[in-house]
Amino acid sequence: MFKSPKSLLMLAVVVLGAAGVAYAQDYQIGTPATALEIAGWDIDIRPDGKGLPVGSGNAIDGEEAYEMVCASCHGVFGEGEGRWPVLVGGEGTLADERPVKTVGSYWPYASTLFDYIRRAMPFTAPMSLSDQQVYDITAYVLYMNDIIEEDFELSQQNLAQIVMPNEDGFFVDDRPDVQNPRCMSDCADPDKLMMKGSLAGVTPIGHFVEGADAPAASHSGQHDLEASKEAERKAAITGEEPAVAEASEPAAMSAAAIAGESTYKAACGVCHTNGLAGAPKVGDAPAWVERLQQGNDLLISHALQGFAGSTGYMPAKGGRADLSNEAVTNAVLFMVESQH
Amino acid sequence: MQHASEHLTTNDRRDFLRRGVSYVAGAAAVGGASIATASGVSSNLPPNEPQWGRQLGTGVVENPYGLPSRHESQVVRRTVPWLTAESISSISMSPIQDLKGIITPNGLVFERYHAGVPDINPDEHRLMIHGLVDNPLIFTMEDLMRFPSVSEIKFIECPANGGMEWRGPQMEALQFTHGMLSCCEWTGVPLKVLLDAAGIQTEGKWILAEGADGAHMSRSIPIEKILDDTLVVYAQNGEMLRPEQGYPLRLLNPGWEGNTSIKWLRRIEVGDKPWHHREETSKYTDLMEDGRARRFTFVQECNSVITSPCPENPIRRKGFLEVEGLAWTGRGKIKGVDISFDGGVSWRPAQLKGLVLDKALTRFSLTTQWQGEPWLIQSRAYDDSGYVQPTLAQLREQRGVNSIYHKNSIHTWQIAPTGEVKNVQIT
Repeated sequence: MFKSPKSLLMLAVVVLGAAGVAYAQDYQIGTPATALEIAGWDIDIRPDGKGLPVGSGNAIDGEEAYEMVCASCHGVFGEGEGRWPVLVGGEGTLADERPVKTVGSYWPYASTLFDYIRRAMPFTAPMSLSDQQVYDITAYVLYMNDIIEEDFELSQQNLAQIVMPNEDGFFVDDRPDVQNPRCMSDCADPDKLMMKGSLAGVTPIGHFVEGADAPAASHSGQHDLEASKEAERKAAITGEEPAVAEASEPAAMSAAAIAGESTYKAACGVCHTNGLAGAPKVGDAPAWVERLQQGNDLLISHALQGFAGSTGYMPAKGGRADLSNEAVTNAVLFMVESQH
Repeated sequence: MQHASEHLTTNDRRDFLRRGVSYVAGAAAVGGASIATASGVSSNLPPNEPQWGRQLGTGVVENPYGLPSRHESQVVRRTVPWLTAESISSISMSPIQDLKGIITPNGLVFERYHAGVPDINPDEHRLMIHGLVDNPLIFTMEDLMRFPSVSEIKFIECPANGGMEWRGPQMEALQFTHGMLSCCEWTGVPLKVLLDAAGIQTEGKWILAEGADGAHMSRSIPIEKILDDTLVVYAQNGEMLRPEQGYPLRLLNPGWEGNTSIKWLRRIEVGDKPWHHREETSKYTDLMEDGRARRFTFVQECNSVITSPCPENPIRRKGFLEVEGLAWTGRGKIKGVDISFDGGVSWRPAQLKGLVLDKALTRFSLTTQWQGEPWLIQSRAYDDSGYVQPTLAQLREQRGVNSIYHKNSIHTWQIAPTGEVKNVQIT
């Protein structure tokens, strides 16, 4: 854009002189950003459509992409798995005791959906989707919320015209909204004070209260707790005894498995710690029995190339195309050897 | 490990002291406690010469980067796992019940990630400034550190701090009720200096700040804030930023909700309107009782809490007691703090102590006597804008109970005759 620092300096002097900014000083620090550099990083979209890439997409194509990369957390119908965000429903609930804030019931602009999917989704592989996929998935989420028709071709030209149901549901901060006088005496009637105590047992306080019940000392502990409650609930319905996983002694791991732990934590653990999308949880011995019998080669091949099994769907490399085959292989070995 | 047996008595005693409930419930003989657990007379207590006075300690650079005493291992960040789906997009709280003064040590600053902590090579980190500017620029870290630096002590607070208790008390510890709060000395460059270098155009009214992490966290900030006091910082408490706090570069919007202080900052775009991104529409908006929602609720309003006594710090002895706490406001300086011992019926002014700085944590203190009275103890701060910290009833009347963010109401601890402290709400 600027051929030399000198021309940059000249322009800076002219502009600052015109603006008359008091703190202005010409440091001559920094390098001109080229149009190419800006284009690579300028990913933001505004409600008026500014920033949208050339292209279009629709819900019909979006359904397949959604089920492949979104449904494992957000649910096949946008209902949300576990505590992952619910995307669909909740219309008319915002003033209820328990409001359900979704794309359809709460989000004011469709542009936000496109922007967010492009910059941050899928959770385990941000910036991995093509613009085409983002258009398709955006269209599908809008379609699931009854905002557009299934065959509507969502495009750079028409996305900004979509009116979201809750567009007018927001107002700019008008605080301070309360005024508390600095009263010093007789500020309340002591006979009318109502006191409410804490719900016991919902926070982990074993670090300062001996013998205190810490229901959830870790995220995996919390998931185990929820899973056992789910098993108990099902057992109560079916009359079957809930299966109890037996703990086994840890065994030494191979060097490859040890090397795979970091990849597991950064990529695989999001599903395989929690059992999302039917993923076998590390340490859940019954879920691994049949898988281990298939042998490592097949498990590694499924992890690398993707696999649709009876319990769920494994995207190729878990959706992380950026990972090397070796990293994925090591992560599989880490998971396999963690079962022993 | 080789020292374990020598320090067993010390550790036992510490454990015993920390577990305030069993301590106060169990014994009147406060002074005899440590001797009883030591099963006799400790060889480290007078009149004996303690073990550490009869041998040599470790030498220099044994720990090239020093660590706290191993007897302080309970002073750590903690989380409440059910708050989030997993730990990568999650939050932890600072152990403010254990901290002194107003500065949060770097390893204890609360964490909030939306896609985990990225591992960024500073040599390959860039800050791009573009949009409605005359000269789009790219800065290296070396470039940024050539600008004249400023250092400011400012708090950062997550607007969800306390947000789990709109409906009722449920966090049984100060770390969980108020720990999404930290205060550091931050060093960097005013963003207005960088925007000036790029030549901001007159139509430029907002900026979009964006992170380099997997979430590419983005927030719209009005230009007035930038011209006031927004910093681009690369250091905290004397050293380069911790990875958890945005290494190598983050934004700092003093006094504003922590989410706007974008970590791992890589891009500033100047525009004429806000962007309405996910973290300023779906999240970080405050749902009111009528179903409408406030947006761009930037300021962290005046707030305070008593840090001692608190559930983690029960009153251990009758007699002299210093009631201590923290106050802060995003609108300026703390002007004063009042303390109530009777659930808000009557109030007494506390003293501010140490530094009283703009948009920084401020310590308050009130010395008194405690003889086992069952107190309902509260603090109420007010700032130099004239704003007085409200009651929970006042906030609920205006906002209902579903707004999640910006709950800055007067907090109540219930002191039992045993000295035990419980989190309660008074309405």
